[in-house]
Amino acid sequence: MEQFVKLGSDMASLWSKYGGTYMGGIWRTLILASVGTAIGCLIGFLCGIVQTIPVSRNDSVVKKVILKIVQVILRIYVEVFRGTPMILQAVFIFYGLPYFTNNSIQFEGKWLVSILVVSINTGAYMTESMRGGIISVDPGQTEGAMAIGMTHFQTMTSVVLPQAIRNIMPQIGNNFIINVKDTSVMFIIGFTDFFAVHKSVVGATFTYFPSAAIEMIGYLTMTLLASWLLRFLEKRMDGKSDYELVAVDQLTLPAGVYHVNAKKSEKDMNPDERAALQKDAQSRIEDRSGKEAR
Amino acid sequence: MADQNVQAGSPSGQMDGQTSGRTAADAIISVRHLSKSFGKHEVLKDIDFNVFKGDVTTVIGASGSGKSTLLRCINLLETPSSGQILYHGQDVMGRHVDAAGYRSHVGMVFQSFNLFYNKNVLDNCMVGQIRVLKRSKQQAYEEAIKYLGKVGMLPYVKAKPRQLSGGQKQRVAIARALAMNPEVLLFDEPTSALDPEMVGEVLDVMSALAKEGMTMIVVTHEMAFARQVSTQVVYMNDGVICESGTPDQIFGNPQSEKTKDFLARFLKR
Repeated sequence: MEQFVKLGSDMASLWSKYGGTYMGGIWRTLILASVGTAIGCLIGFLCGIVQTIPVSRNDSVVKKVILKIVQVILRIYVEVFRGTPMILQAVFIFYGLPYFTNNSIQFEGKWLVSILVVSINTGAYMTESMRGGIISVDPGQTEGAMAIGMTHFQTMTSVVLPQAIRNIMPQIGNNFIINVKDTSVMFIIGFTDFFAVHKSVVGATFTYFPSAAIEMIGYLTMTLLASWLLRFLEKRMDGKSDYELVAVDQLTLPAGVYHVNAKKSEKDMNPDERAALQKDAQSRIEDRSGKEAR
Repeated sequence: MADQNVQAGSPSGQMDGQTSGRTAADAIISVRHLSKSFGKHEVLKDIDFNVFKGDVTTVIGASGSGKSTLLRCINLLETPSSGQILYHGQDVMGRHVDAAGYRSHVGMVFQSFNLFYNKNVLDNCMVGQIRVLKRSKQQAYEEAIKYLGKVGMLPYVKAKPRQLSGGQKQRVAIARALAMNPEVLLFDEPTSALDPEMVGEVLDVMSALAKEGMTMIVVTHEMAFARQVSTQVVYMNDGVICESGTPDQIFGNPQSEKTKDFLARFLKR
């Protein structure tokens, strides 16, 4: 118990001295993770859509060849950036571009390169998520859209993508939470995110454990808020679970009505109506069986 | 041969004046020597038949006889292996034919409804008009309301498909197809996925459509419906058209042994 009290007071004194520094780290981590995830999603959506373009028999050879080449390039992109650690990708891009261009391309600040690395890394994962999201939409939806004359583009934008994006919302959330934590590897190129703050604080104070506890709480707060926000968004996308019945206005029915019994639930009816309905049903049954017997 | 059968089987009562002059060239849809294979499995073999304006053609036959594949080929949801499908005399499989444009003239109603889950009932009926036919929102709304009213689904315009029963979904699907003002409507076993109590409400709508003169091709197991409503019945067996003719010919006096067997099995139930 004493240790907890001591930990509490150590954390409080750390916070009172370095609170602003920690908050700055949280802020930079959040911005890097959200911007990186957003751009990554955009990259992923586009690549995933390209990966699922169908080839029809009537397409010209040129279109088929170009599409195939683009799809192979995207495939390589996904495999490379999914299959290597983000920390290495950061090093590769931060030092690699100046190396190959004889220092004519250099990164002024750490922001640009950090966002770039997080975006293309997330994009690689999201490409596969999006592809999965698109192919998981019931093929009947595509057929339904094609049957009313929609082109592939119209089918995708009106019917498939809204459903696919809804379905991969949990994965977008996953990626965001992973990015909140994994952007800490950007210390390798000197980006001072929340975790880098920990390293500089303990370098000055040697209070390893209390600082780590603050970091733990900080990261957990960010990720919990993120998952709560995503749940909220998902609910918003699903819309209301109930709907209103619209009163039938006879004026809107100039074309007449096909004979379908107006739906009125049976318990709302008085006994006479119920009897009439049953009689009607009975006569229909006899009618049908009579016809079938013929 | 099948071609002649169909000619003979064209409705004699209500359309006497036109019947004599009807040739394949007048047909809205003319299927010629159509074959379809999935790998080595030949599902359709040399199918020939015509659909004229106002015809209600029902396609009957056992499961696996190729009825649904035939319908899906007509709408180009499956690519035929060989043969032709002519729409007003033009081959719809030609290189320069816009398949999407053709499909907008030929509506289709599916066994599994295929309503767009992400849209409510009204939007389901409007989206095709707006995006494919480029109608204004107001015009699309009026058309959608008109046909939703006709199928008795007007009170449900704000509901999402997952909130509806099977019969209600199918009626919305019919309204969605009608709102595109198609020239021909294809029905792929529209009542097979429904509870028995909901079959009636969908068949009622279809009968009313037929009475209004809608040209329809209906794949169905509802023999009573086929007998009452259709002008032409096609019996398919094992990928070929075994027999076709008027409902009275097929149900009253079937010529082929296979047809007799099939009908006997069906009507006994």
